[in-house]
Amino acid sequence: MLHGYGGFILRVDLTSGRVRREKTDPAYMLKTIGGRGLNSTRLFEELKRDVDPLSPENMLLFGVGPLTGTLLPASAYTTITGKSPLTGILGDSAAGGFFGTELKQAGYDQVIVTGRSETPCYLLVTNDTVEIRDAGHLWGRDIWETTAALRRELGDNAVQVAAIGPAGENLVKFATVACNNSRTFGRTGMGCIFGSKNLKAIVVRGTRRVTIADTLRFADLCRKLEADILNHPEYEQRHALGSTLLMKALQGIGILPTRHFQEGLCDYVDEISGETLAERYKVKNKSCFNCNIHCSRYFITPTHEGEGPEYETLCSYTSRLGNRDLEFALRMTTFLNRMGIDSLSSGETIGWAMECAQRGLLTREDLDGLDFTWGNTQTIEKILRMIVHREGLGDAFAEGTRSLARRFGKGTENYAFHVKGLDMICGDPRGIKAFGLTYAIASRGGDHLRAEPFFELTERYDEAERRWGIREIADRLAVKGKAVLVEHTERQALISDCLTMCKNIGLSMDLMDVDFAARLLTAGTGLKFTPERVDDALKGVIERDRLLNIDFGIDAGQDTLPERFRKEPLAEGASKGQTVPVEEMVQEYYRLKGWDERGVPRGRA
Amino acid sequence: MIVVDAAKCSGCSRCEVACSFFHSGKVGRAGSRVKVVKMEEFGIDFPVVCQHCVERYCVKCPEHAIEIGPLGQVIVSPTLCTTCGACEALCPIGAIELFEEIPYVCDLCGGNPRCVKACTLDAIRYEPETTGNVSLETFRKKSKNLTPEEKRVRFALTRFEPIRETWLSKRRA
Repeated sequence: MLHGYGGFILRVDLTSGRVRREKTDPAYMLKTIGGRGLNSTRLFEELKRDVDPLSPENMLLFGVGPLTGTLLPASAYTTITGKSPLTGILGDSAAGGFFGTELKQAGYDQVIVTGRSETPCYLLVTNDTVEIRDAGHLWGRDIWETTAALRRELGDNAVQVAAIGPAGENLVKFATVACNNSRTFGRTGMGCIFGSKNLKAIVVRGTRRVTIADTLRFADLCRKLEADILNHPEYEQRHALGSTLLMKALQGIGILPTRHFQEGLCDYVDEISGETLAERYKVKNKSCFNCNIHCSRYFITPTHEGEGPEYETLCSYTSRLGNRDLEFALRMTTFLNRMGIDSLSSGETIGWAMECAQRGLLTREDLDGLDFTWGNTQTIEKILRMIVHREGLGDAFAEGTRSLARRFGKGTENYAFHVKGLDMICGDPRGIKAFGLTYAIASRGGDHLRAEPFFELTERYDEAERRWGIREIADRLAVKGKAVLVEHTERQALISDCLTMCKNIGLSMDLMDVDFAARLLTAGTGLKFTPERVDDALKGVIERDRLLNIDFGIDAGQDTLPERFRKEPLAEGASKGQTVPVEEMVQEYYRLKGWDERGVPRGRA
Repeated sequence: MIVVDAAKCSGCSRCEVACSFFHSGKVGRAGSRVKVVKMEEFGIDFPVVCQHCVERYCVKCPEHAIEIGPLGQVIVSPTLCTTCGACEALCPIGAIELFEEIPYVCDLCGGNPRCVKACTLDAIRYEPETTGNVSLETFRKKSKNLTPEEKRVRFALTRFEPIRETWLSKRRA
């Protein structure tokens, strides 16, 4: 018997209405582990490469980690995967909360949705019973209303709901899915795939209990991890501020995106910092299932309330757009969460427009008469509504920054800050070189989470020497050794994603590695997950992701960064004078991977 | 009894995890005697657990299978219990629920409640001396046709009201 795992894979075809439950295959799990590894392997094996992401043939996969819903702390995530409508390559996004645990307690390791329903529907999964139900009455309603309405009509407040809002219905390319109202599957437009399938929500109720193979050993390992979390030097700050601690931390090292990465310092950071947010608006901590950090926060402003925001949303709607009004950013947080659009991608479309307006590349006439001056909150709010409903200029914005800039041309492409179509996160790579490399090579595009090489920020020089024999790895401004770091932490990030664990704990706090994961997996599932097997599985997933992306049209030319980060040195602050020599790092990364100079895994050319 | 300070609760459900694991070696909300009610739109996270109520509605068990132990905890006799579900129906706040034909009710882990140990926020405490001083009479009314989850929600909503009032007066004054 399989322990830890839910034991079943659920396949739902919305075109035919056919539902099939398959037993989880232990051999397949040894190869893919679970979560993101399981999802992207399934995509690699089953997806026809040339499908339109919005066609019924695209797949929508939900992966839950093998140890999610057990004693293991901070493993509450779910990964949603599909061919991204925003980028056209591998797309996936993960969120915490309580949805993954419920899916596990219903008995599932993965849900695979294909096809397209003729009319709006939602999927109701109650343990073994699976129904496709009408969602006509929910269409048009926002995520919070939809969640509450479903709980009401099902007469059960304990059901877990992953839903889209109007943005997903309107096929905004960076639409999100959210569970627990504000736990957002933000990136790569998974909500848009929901919309294309006429799928409003997945609702889950699971009443099973998850079993463990070697209960005592597993409980010991979990207790060790819990103690490591509680005793971590960053614990207090992470508990108090969560990821919003990064506002002041990144300001300190001169890489806080300000006015669309024109500066790395924001002179009003104290008005928009995580500390100020906590002092003025936080009322309590919030948490994902079975986590002892409780890093999320509930806020109340004079007009709005909700959970969050995380750093990326906070920065996207403050310094990155030249906005100093924190209450406005919190109001936008609730708006984005309700409507279901990604804060990073929507923020980048607006930042692009503001910079192009500043440089005279776009006029007010080009922009539907809107005034895209830095920090113009009226414009920000107006364009967001237009994006959600695809009205006027919003229709072009809803396609994402890459497409938007191509459409306007005239040099505006130089200010579209994306990699492979995915808008860049809020960390200026010029002062964090390994992150720069990560954005360039990440298999879902311009994003840090594929490797989260947080180690380079820690100044742990002796530890760098011990682990890799290269002291410079602990120096954020050094280039030397950064490909080594990223090649390593890419696997470390993936093991967290396969366990659907939180990467703040796995990587930033550096508490999860392949050896520890192998011990947890063996004790938890009863399968023989040796460290070698786990590492092989991780390497296999990374190689398949690359091959899949090559099939989707990715080549070495796209493993790069926008020109600003390669050529324009930062003008002031603690990263003054820095750029990212990304090409040499990318080539070294290929060599370490055993790929040729075009980034193609050898023997597969 | 187990005393809840919901203003401190983050909703992490570690209490549920610890309860279920201690009693069965397995983890699942259905196997827990404490259940956290979450209503995201109001910021509510509220662990609902036996209140050792003055009224002791559950002891009206028709099979006389329920008695109150020395710690004030509810004890179900597995030999007398016929899983009729009367206790589940009688409890006004959904603190007793049948799962796999067993009434799940807080036994205080024999005086060392694991939920309390698991909580890192001090949102639930064990006060051995406090027992039998909470009245649930107001929740008994109109609770007949409610499911245990519905009863828990109603209880949590009512008990959370003062916390929300504090929040609003602080942030919207």
